[in-house]
Amino acid sequence: MIIGKFRLGRYTAITLVGLAIAFPLFYLLSGSLMSYSEISSYPPKIFTSAPQWSNFSEAFSYLTARTILNTFIFVFGVLLLQLAICLPAAFALAKIRFRGSTALFVLFLIPIFVPVNLLLIPTYIVTFQLGLIGTFAGMILPVAGQASVGVLLFRQFFAGLPDGLMEAARLDGANWFQTFFLVALPLARPIIAAYSVVTFLTAWNLYLWPLLAGPGDETRVLTVAVAPLATSQFTNISPSVGFAAAVIAMVPVLAVFIAFQKWFSRGVIGSGLE
Amino acid sequence: MNPKRPKYNLSDTLAAWGLIAPALILFIIFILIPVLAAIGLSFFSWNFFNTPAWIGGDNFARLFSDPEVAQSIGVTFEFVILGVVPTMIIGFLLAVLVNANMPGVGVLRVLYFVPVVVSAAVSAVLWGFLFDPRQGPGAAVFRFFGATAPDVLNSQLLATPALVVIMIWGGLPIVVILYLAGLQRISPDLYDAAALDGASRWRTLWSITWPNVSSTTLVVLVLQIVGFVSGALDLALILTKGGPINATRALGLYSYQEAFASQDVGYAAALSVLQLVIIVSIVGVVQAIIRRANR
Repeated sequence: MIIGKFRLGRYTAITLVGLAIAFPLFYLLSGSLMSYSEISSYPPKIFTSAPQWSNFSEAFSYLTARTILNTFIFVFGVLLLQLAICLPAAFALAKIRFRGSTALFVLFLIPIFVPVNLLLIPTYIVTFQLGLIGTFAGMILPVAGQASVGVLLFRQFFAGLPDGLMEAARLDGANWFQTFFLVALPLARPIIAAYSVVTFLTAWNLYLWPLLAGPGDETRVLTVAVAPLATSQFTNISPSVGFAAAVIAMVPVLAVFIAFQKWFSRGVIGSGLE
Repeated sequence: MNPKRPKYNLSDTLAAWGLIAPALILFIIFILIPVLAAIGLSFFSWNFFNTPAWIGGDNFARLFSDPEVAQSIGVTFEFVILGVVPTMIIGFLLAVLVNANMPGVGVLRVLYFVPVVVSAAVSAVLWGFLFDPRQGPGAAVFRFFGATAPDVLNSQLLATPALVVIMIWGGLPIVVILYLAGLQRISPDLYDAAALDGASRWRTLWSITWPNVSSTTLVVLVLQIVGFVSGALDLALILTKGGPINATRALGLYSYQEAFASQDVGYAAALSVLQLVIIVSIVGVVQAIIRRANR
């Protein structure tokens, strides 16, 4: 009986604290369906009595389909390019004996604790000099170049694969490229999934770099379009329409997160370990 | 060298470089060159368009005489002091709370993780409204008690703590995930031994659980320090533009403004270098403290 009560207390605590943490998000979702008078009413409302779906069409026409498309181009560009460069590099560093391999690995690791924001200005200068400001290439390439975490994570994984596996393939006449594609890569699917979920979330939520590298209509992404709707900015758009725009910007990552939460945790744990 | 082992094989070396080349090229162009450029440019005067002019250590000398540098260093430390340790402690306690082997807890944990999907932009829209003194649930709490809600984002005293609250909320999921992984690595034998000794739950938490996640704590601290030194940049840019009267302008934002508003790129680069020195020194001090505590 005592154990039963203790568990009930634990359940209650976990639920209440969890609801408190997630409350701002519930409020964002519910506020996105309120009318202006409802969202600004006193006493405040938690649930809407008459959902205003028109908030979403208003928010959508403000954001534009183009912005949503741009975001997908940017995010998948970053994700695919990162996988394409990090996986083979990590494989070579883990499994091929060659002069300079340790030095190269250390070189890749150096920036792991350099905050991205610190590189903002110099990266902008390099991208500017290359004539890539205002293009998807300019938005995607510098973010994809942040290969440290990917190389580290994948190298750890490949290093854990038995050498005999690679040797068998090599004895069968496979070259290193074939060994990578046909033997190592299929085994790496779980770690690729974990890394992809984390990278998808990170890239989707980036604000400053896309703002600097591609602020124009043809390249503008959702975060850049949504940020000016913060109420401190004194826009003439109703807060509930701003909420709806924020929800549109958030729903894809929310869906990916809820569907792949286990992979996300694995990716975070993998890249957080030294 | 072990004489039995074969020497480096040329075809292996070529294959390895071939596999590494794409990553290496992007890495050199967009990470290494920018890092070196940041250091190099701090010795020049440049506005993006003219020819950079060598001015030696002038930018660094200016750091020491510029009162706005001292002020923004103060703001940077305000972010770090208000943010890092609370995030760590709350994250640890939440992880202990949800580290329960009971059916359904896995689903409830999603509530703790879900703020991770919120970008700075979405966060700004949401919290900008929650901190609005005229409308919404935040203002209502004060009105309920018959008080006037403070305009926190326009208050020199409260704007930085308000941004820190938003950052802690958004940063907790990662910390909880990391601590949960750390907690699950602790051997149950340790808890059994503590229970045999009749240790109370708080005593167990403090003398068994906490010391056994110290490697996680180090990772969390480093991540949070880097995050709070630099991470206030996007939120502050969107919500307060560094104001009111520079109250939320940390070094990162000052450097950003020098580069993109004043187009004083050399000075902005010197400010970035200063920011890096600060991060490296704080992380170094924290690592030394933790190592000593573990000894």
